[in-house]
Amino acid sequence: MKTIDCRKMDCPLPVVTVKRALEEAPGEDLKVLLDDGPPRENVTRFAVNRGFIVDETRMEGGYAILISGAAGETLSINREKNGDTVMLIDSDRLGDGPEELGRLLMKNFINTLVEVSETPDRMLFINTGVLLATEGSEVLEALDKLGNRGVEIASCGVCLDFFDQKKNLRAGTVTNMFSVAESLLKAGSVIRL
Amino acid sequence: MVKDGDFVAVFNNIHRVMKAEKILKEKRLNMLLIPAPRSLKSDCGLAIRYDEADRNAIEGQLREADLEPEEIYRKDGEEFTRIDAQR
Repeated sequence: MKTIDCRKMDCPLPVVTVKRALEEAPGEDLKVLLDDGPPRENVTRFAVNRGFIVDETRMEGGYAILISGAAGETLSINREKNGDTVMLIDSDRLGDGPEELGRLLMKNFINTLVEVSETPDRMLFINTGVLLATEGSEVLEALDKLGNRGVEIASCGVCLDFFDQKKNLRAGTVTNMFSVAESLLKAGSVIRL
Repeated sequence: MVKDGDFVAVFNNIHRVMKAEKILKEKRLNMLLIPAPRSLKSDCGLAIRYDEADRNAIEGQLREADLEPEEIYRKDGEEFTRIDAQR
């Protein structure tokens, strides 16, 4: 059984790390070391929602969480579908039309995703879409919440660089075009906003 | 997006809520435009969220700008309690 140490990690990194480990070794039990508080709560909620059995043991400096049960048949990591649901966000606006309205709609859409029970597996931000994940964005709270539910958030590095926002990324990770291309090609469904 | 104790001001017109957001942002007041919670009735589906600490300032600004919300609620546990704007 594999053990991963997610102590001292800020949210949503523990969930992202656990999700990746579960995907890499489907069916195998996983032991995760976590800090108490949000990391423990978020990882436990994530695993339970995906149909795993979670067993917690208190240990020095945190918790050891045993995740087992091979993701209940209907709630496999990739859900019922064959492949991930990937959301491609290539603008900081939703739809054509007045800029102001487009920005409001995008903000409202992402904030609404938090309230919906289904989530995408991955959200890829490219072009002006990356500005949604950087300092000053009004959807950072929502992206953080989605991240804690196991949604991978990734922004295009070239785009961040173009807008001189590399240092200002506040949600998710930086990705490159290889990963974006692979992710889109392997996806079970792609939702392009 | 709404936690226990938060206030939610529901608007019934998109132009009013956008104007309200703009004014409150200019005043650097701490609030967030959010989808109106499903259990609350709203024609445009948008609301403004803020907390107790900013309540006076926000509701005061809205009143001054003649942009009083249609309804104001406070989240109490799982429920929303309708409350009156502060006078």
